[in-house]
Amino acid sequence: MYSSSSQFDGNAAFSGGGFMPSQATQGTDPSLGFSKNRDAQSLLPLTVKQIYDAIQSSDDKANLIVDGVDVNNVTLIGRVCNKAGRVTDVTFVLDDGTGKIECNKWFQEAADSNEAESILDGMYARLHGHLKNFQGKRTLNVFYFRPVTDFNEVASHFIDCIHVHLYNSRIRSSVPNQQHVMNSTPITPTMGYQAKVIPPTNQFSDQHAIGQKGTENMVLDFLHLPANRSRNEGVRRDLIAQHLEISLDKLMLAIKNLIDEGAVYETIADHYKSIING
Amino acid sequence: MDTSNPAVFVNAQLIPNFIGKRIRTVVQVNQFGGGIATAKSTDDSQLTIKGLPQVPIMNFIEVIGIAESSNSIDAEIWTDFGNTFDTNSFNQLCQLANGEFKGLFL
Repeated sequence: MYSSSSQFDGNAAFSGGGFMPSQATQGTDPSLGFSKNRDAQSLLPLTVKQIYDAIQSSDDKANLIVDGVDVNNVTLIGRVCNKAGRVTDVTFVLDDGTGKIECNKWFQEAADSNEAESILDGMYARLHGHLKNFQGKRTLNVFYFRPVTDFNEVASHFIDCIHVHLYNSRIRSSVPNQQHVMNSTPITPTMGYQAKVIPPTNQFSDQHAIGQKGTENMVLDFLHLPANRSRNEGVRRDLIAQHLEISLDKLMLAIKNLIDEGAVYETIADHYKSIING
Repeated sequence: MDTSNPAVFVNAQLIPNFIGKRIRTVVQVNQFGGGIATAKSTDDSQLTIKGLPQVPIMNFIEVIGIAESSNSIDAEIWTDFGNTFDTNSFNQLCQLANGEFKGLFL
């Protein structure tokens, strides 16, 4: 397991050689060990509230843990406030609506101090930074700062946070069908799109959408036939309808859903192709 | 760090749960008169927003402020989100942030 990763990952190779953690963790859950190792270097999208709620790990390193994953580097989006520029660094507070966190950015080069002038109170910014946890105080050491220009990024970031939370908490839950919910809020059936996030586990969605889902799968299966895969221009819609023996309206509804999901795209007028056709 | 004064993501439908509290929402401003803006929420309801300066009509504005009633907000902070904004994604985010994933936000 570690011999293959040693070619490109010095850290993993070193720790593997010294302590053989692969053997130690093998007994419990190999996939867990792998994800932990890899996630240690990842950039986690988080809300300030998640950082506030993060558990302090029990080892000496004073690491924080969110959804069972060690947090080092994080990406946040929020409004900048209380900016204070100094000669060697700039400090500000980032308010992402769920909470506020103190941030600082050190200047390495002269160009950095010019960049600091572009940081203004009230602006929305995307940050990448290293989370520091010192004497119970959590601050962010920023190494990347970019003003947000397309504000869809704000909603997108929080959806990202939800997605990563779901991904990390589901990997760690031993029963795949059981959803890991951090708070006490019950899962309300009002959220129809819940079905899209976790298609295999949600029974409600399958019940009311079984007819449509069936059509979509039939369309996908048809597009995946080798003869159809090889066509650069995709398959004409009449042909799909004719082959599946369904009405054009029903077909177009299925195709629209597949396009929305990103499974299928239109090549030229009225010709469709699956994304895994290559 | 401070999470004592959050601004909750809401659409018009969710405002009644937060009257007197700090909220954040995105609206499209339709009209402006006498210091009060009339705006459309991401779930297609009419809201009145107090305390907004003159903003470009039909632009999407993010408002952070106190919910005064189920259809009016007293704005503290506002940001012009421009004239293209995916209201549907935002609307769904509001529901997620107040439902299953509330723990990430509040």
